[in-house]
Amino acid sequence: MKGHKLRLALLLSVSGLFLLAWIFPIFWSLLNAFKSEQDVLAYPPKLIFSPTLAAFRDVLFGPTSIVPNLVSSFIISIGTTIVTMVLAIPAAYALARLRVPGKKWSGFYVLATQMLPPVGIIIPYFLILRDIGWIDTYQGIILIYLSFSLPFAIWLLVSYFEDLPFEMEEAAFIDGASRLMTLWRIILPQVRGGVAVTVVFVFLNAWNEFLFAVVLSGNVVRPVTISMFNFVSVEQTLWSKLAAVSALAMLPVIILGIIAQKHIVKGLTVGAVKGGGRR
Amino acid sequence: MTKATTLDVPVGGRADPARMMEGRERRFAAALLAPAFIALMATTTFPLLHLGWTSLHRMDLAMPFMDGFVGLDNYRELLGDPRFWSALGVSLVYTFSTVILQVVLGLALALLVNGMKRGQALFRIVAILPVVLSPAVVGMVWRTFMLTPEFGVVDYLSMTAGLGSHNWLGDPSLALFSVVVIHTWQWTPFAFMVLLASLAALPEDIYEAARIDRASPWLCFVRITLPLLRPAIVMVIIMRTMVALTAFAAIFTVTGGGPGTATEILNLYAYRKSFTELSIGYGSALAVALLIFTLVITGVLFALRRAK
Amino acid sequence: MTARGLVQLEKIVKKHGSFEALKGIDIEIRPGEFFALLGPSGSGKSTTLRILAGLDAPTSGRILLDGKDVTGADARARDIAMVFQSYALYPHMTVAENIAFPLEMAKTPKAEIAPAVREAAAKVKIDHLLDRKPGQLSGGQQQRCALARAIVRKARLFLLDEPLSNLDAMLRLATRVELKKLQRSLGVTAVYVTHDQEEAMTLADRMAVFREGEICQIGRPADVFAAPNCIEVAAFIGSPPMNLLTTRSTAGGVLIGGRHVPVAASLEAGRAVVVGVRPSAVRFDPAGIPVTVEVVENLGDAAILDLTLDGTPLRARYDRFPLPREGETMAVSFAPEDIHLFDPTTGRRI
Repeated sequence: MKGHKLRLALLLSVSGLFLLAWIFPIFWSLLNAFKSEQDVLAYPPKLIFSPTLAAFRDVLFGPTSIVPNLVSSFIISIGTTIVTMVLAIPAAYALARLRVPGKKWSGFYVLATQMLPPVGIIIPYFLILRDIGWIDTYQGIILIYLSFSLPFAIWLLVSYFEDLPFEMEEAAFIDGASRLMTLWRIILPQVRGGVAVTVVFVFLNAWNEFLFAVVLSGNVVRPVTISMFNFVSVEQTLWSKLAAVSALAMLPVIILGIIAQKHIVKGLTVGAVKGGGRR
Repeated sequence: MTKATTLDVPVGGRADPARMMEGRERRFAAALLAPAFIALMATTTFPLLHLGWTSLHRMDLAMPFMDGFVGLDNYRELLGDPRFWSALGVSLVYTFSTVILQVVLGLALALLVNGMKRGQALFRIVAILPVVLSPAVVGMVWRTFMLTPEFGVVDYLSMTAGLGSHNWLGDPSLALFSVVVIHTWQWTPFAFMVLLASLAALPEDIYEAARIDRASPWLCFVRITLPLLRPAIVMVIIMRTMVALTAFAAIFTVTGGGPGTATEILNLYAYRKSFTELSIGYGSALAVALLIFTLVITGVLFALRRAK
Repeated sequence: MTARGLVQLEKIVKKHGSFEALKGIDIEIRPGEFFALLGPSGSGKSTTLRILAGLDAPTSGRILLDGKDVTGADARARDIAMVFQSYALYPHMTVAENIAFPLEMAKTPKAEIAPAVREAAAKVKIDHLLDRKPGQLSGGQQQRCALARAIVRKARLFLLDEPLSNLDAMLRLATRVELKKLQRSLGVTAVYVTHDQEEAMTLADRMAVFREGEICQIGRPADVFAAPNCIEVAAFIGSPPMNLLTTRSTAGGVLIGGRHVPVAASLEAGRAVVVGVRPSAVRFDPAGIPVTVEVVENLGDAAILDLTLDGTPLRARYDRFPLPREGETMAVSFAPEDIHLFDPTTGRRI
């Protein structure tokens, strides 16, 4: 009995340690965002301090405001999400439900495009966009974001479309609905949940993207993940401001992540469980 | 439409109804698929071909007057480039160590949490946090608030534990270790969540039957849990390998590949060559090499999945 | 309106790769008729219905509705209604919206939709449930909703794919009666797919018995029951099914249990035959052939006796009480008019 209790205590402390290890870095940077510059620099690190919103005030309304960066991030993410969904919903429906010529290959193609290393795409993309003058434009960055958001969205949506019974569409055909009408009136309303989950993940991935943004950003397109670097330089680091910017960059994705928490495993593993077209 | 003169199965003269019906469905499907496929080709396949073409050229943004077709010269140069081989080595070390760590830690934690009666929800929520964050932000937080010497929390803990202060990212022998830890920190929750979900889906009655057969907990794990979990584990390994091979943002933010080339994985080398040193042609050859490397590893992993 | 709903299927063949799901089906269904497609699962009856509905296309053959070739036409161009086994109600719409959907698709004026929906709902007694969603309905109510959606448009043809199979036994019996009344009152042609021979027997004006992609027999249920034209139909129709004994013919009769039993048909002596006798036609007669009672299945008002006659099993219906005990020896005889004869090699009726 005693050994049992000892084991339990051991297990609890090990799992507690893991929990701490995951929470702490995030918690710590959030905490530093509420500190004054002196409190951040205090050594040993201070857990107790008088909180202040000065850092947030500075990064939002100060001379180096990141509000334009946040706006930029939102434009990129929302734009990517809209374009992705408009293209992915019909394609996913066709792959999941219809007799498509070369269906297996289409499915495999969508899957394979997900494996391309981004570094391999960004080099030609940079050259092409430079030639047509689309560097540092929203259309340029949204277009290239389709390279990862579109295959992902198609595969996630296919899994939701496949869950619907075929008889639903057949009933609609017999009731006199055209294929397009059936998709719009019968199928889409029933996969609303799946569409919402897909929107969350596409937004999240677009918000977090970094490599393409580094190469294609400029004065117009300057997402918040890039703007962090304004606060770190060889000469000095603006600690509390950096913490505040990180906090603002984390906030939307953490909120979305918690909203979509039940679907997160599905969103993370989509396309890996089954590969290739079916039916 | 002409009426068939005999009641025999019509052979010629009119279209096969099955074909007509399928044809309508195919045309509809093609119309739905076309926009997405055109977009995919424009954003993935076309750039890939372009990349292959560029890799056969000398293209130097700093010295455009030297540009021109050079055939396989870039690849020849690459094979004799010690920095390429070093980057390949770093990529291998980075990929294998992070994947193994994630799977082992993720599995251990999943087993631990799966046995808990309460508190599972807390773990599930906390595990989401690192996974949804941008690797760039994660890298920045670690680089500054965790690892800065005589400021970061990790350094503080190290000093408190009597191990002394270290230049975690500036010391070539520690830098690779640090970026491996950061990647593992961010993505172990992924393995944990997937494996926990698979564990929770295992049927309870098998374990009851095993307990009636007086199997020890260890035997239960080795003979029942592991084999049943194998597909999930293999899937996690494949997915994590793919991501580790394309990792960029965290290392870029934390070390930029440095110090020197201590943390320069192939991705970073290709990026630095193309966009810092502006040798786009050679950078493209590096990216093609990376693609081949990715394909080989993927092929091996899928072969392993099919084996046994 | 009167002559609407004539269905002609001509030489319908459906292949899935090299597998022939339908091997040339010919059916003519008259306007206003209640026609059942009966057969075990995989026999091709559902495939036939789907081809008739326009959900699948035949590999060859023609489909005519009211004399017009619709073989290559889409489902929505055929003016038919269908009730699915799973009901296929639209879960995000209310009952009223579900029933209104076919009318909306037919571009019926808005003002006419609401009364039509109410009328259809009233016919199947769900007019008090119009605002519910399908998920809030019981199985029986869902089934009615599917019926209402099918009858609201007054299509020329009414297709039913095992519509009762998801209901529990009591409800199934009650709904069966209502379904028949509904079809009569609408006067619409109905094609009904089922694997339950009792449903087909009670509902259909005529039926087609399917087996392995072919039709064994088409006819009125009573005729098919009285004179099955092949062994398969004989074995499929009737509950419990017909006893089938392999034996040889004698002059003017057959050999059962070593005895000569006279039959109505004329047979040359000495050929192999399969003798079919319905369990209800087995007569208990002390002067007959001795049998042993193996098992007694008491149904309350009657019993099914599992007997052995000279080593071969034989089932009989028995309604005299007290029932015999298991292990007891009895004797049975067969009237010539009760004996069905089949050719063992072709399976055809002799």
